[in-house]
Amino acid sequence: MSDGGRESGTDNQTSSKKSKVSGGDEFGRAIAKIAVTQICGSTGFHSSHPSALDALADVAIRYISDLGKAANFYANLSGRTSSNVFDVIQGLEDLGLSQGFSGASDIHRCLASSGVVREIGQFVNTAEEVPFAWPVPRFPIARIPKQTSSFAQIGEAPAGNHIPNWLPAFPDPHTYIHTPVWNERATDLRTDKIEQARQRRKAERSLLSLQQRLACNATAEFMPAIDGDAGKGKEIVTNNPFLAPPLPYGEKEVSEIVMPKVDADEKKLSVLETFAPAIEAAKNGSLTSLISEERVLPSERPMVHFKFGIHSKSIVAPLSSKAQNAKTDSWFLRDDEKDDKKRRAEMILKEAMENPQELAQL
Amino acid sequence: MNSSSGEGRHDDDSALAEFLASLMDYTPTIPDELVEHYLSRSGFHCPDLRLTRLVAVAAQKFISEVASDALQHCKARQAAPVKDKSKQPKDKRLVLTMEDLSKALREVRKLTVSSIYFFEVTFFGILIYCLLIEKKKKFVMIKV
Repeated sequence: MSDGGRESGTDNQTSSKKSKVSGGDEFGRAIAKIAVTQICGSTGFHSSHPSALDALADVAIRYISDLGKAANFYANLSGRTSSNVFDVIQGLEDLGLSQGFSGASDIHRCLASSGVVREIGQFVNTAEEVPFAWPVPRFPIARIPKQTSSFAQIGEAPAGNHIPNWLPAFPDPHTYIHTPVWNERATDLRTDKIEQARQRRKAERSLLSLQQRLACNATAEFMPAIDGDAGKGKEIVTNNPFLAPPLPYGEKEVSEIVMPKVDADEKKLSVLETFAPAIEAAKNGSLTSLISEERVLPSERPMVHFKFGIHSKSIVAPLSSKAQNAKTDSWFLRDDEKDDKKRRAEMILKEAMENPQELAQL
Repeated sequence: MNSSSGEGRHDDDSALAEFLASLMDYTPTIPDELVEHYLSRSGFHCPDLRLTRLVAVAAQKFISEVASDALQHCKARQAAPVKDKSKQPKDKRLVLTMEDLSKALREVRKLTVSSIYFFEVTFFGILIYCLLIEKKKKFVMIKV
């Protein structure tokens, strides 16, 4: 029945996609399933469960295998390796014993007129011919092994007179001879390092020159770029000691900016002194003047005169007799006119002065 | 007698030969390649194509018998209970289910399993019976 065949055919496709249990024999099983489906269709079924079709296909395959085994057994029993029709008939009788066939109890029966054969003959005559739906290629496909070519085929002369040239050739020597491969990059590593150091120095130099240029922005002087002394600028130090490039210890004479134990007022004032130009610059409103002053870390301290209110805890006495009174006076007089920011900066400085130990940590 | 049996055998052989020849006209549903694959897998070696056709036809016959048995079961299942009048009586769709198939297959295997059991049981039974008779005879002899 075409409808039944088609319907169960669709069942086939869905189930054949799911089942992957057979492992290697899938093609044979799929073909068997299709054949079994066609047989069921011709029997009279409209549709079927896919599991039932799987089981029936398995049964069919097992039947064929058993028949082949039995036929082979009978052939071997008769001392032959290849089976003939009588072996097959005997195998059929073995398998059909359970269902029974006519003439089974006949002791002297002839195989040629066996009931099994007759039944099959009847089946062939009565049953309608339903050929398999699709053309089946010959399977399994035997892979032709790649043959190693002989010496003569390659054209190679065999090593030694004792080897005839029709024997298969030896494999390539690189497959069995291990030649050490030297790493060519040993010298490159060194040059790479040198190159890296050079580039680093170059970058540092350019950074320094930039800083320098910024420092000399206001001044008319044109400072030459520092020649490389391992890339560290010794001569020029920006006003802010924190922004200066780090100097190796002892290279630069640096005054002790902060000491935990305050011996003299000089040391105490150092922070203020350092920030004095900053404050002045903030007061004036221009930042460039902050770094415009080229200062070596001070060996001379500008005089600063601070006068704070009653609540202030620190009183700073002026250092030197340098006449900077006017400056400080003006500083102090403009106290009222200052912005909040400046006031805040002063407060911060005040607090910094209160705690010299904190300064040391700076 | 011999000649007649010889002729009979000759007839049988010719009938067989004719039958095998007729097989070549009939194309079985199970393809030849599949049958050859599984036969070679189980050790069967024969270059003759008629034998493979014979095996294919035999397998087809077997499967069709099993399928027809399952069909019988299915029809019996549909015919027996007529529960609801609401659903269409005698649902026309014949579906091959696992249950019907297992019933049909069980009939195929049934006799072989039970026959072996029967055989073994009867064999041992007869054996024990004989032994007992022997012993009884001995006892009788001794008593006497």
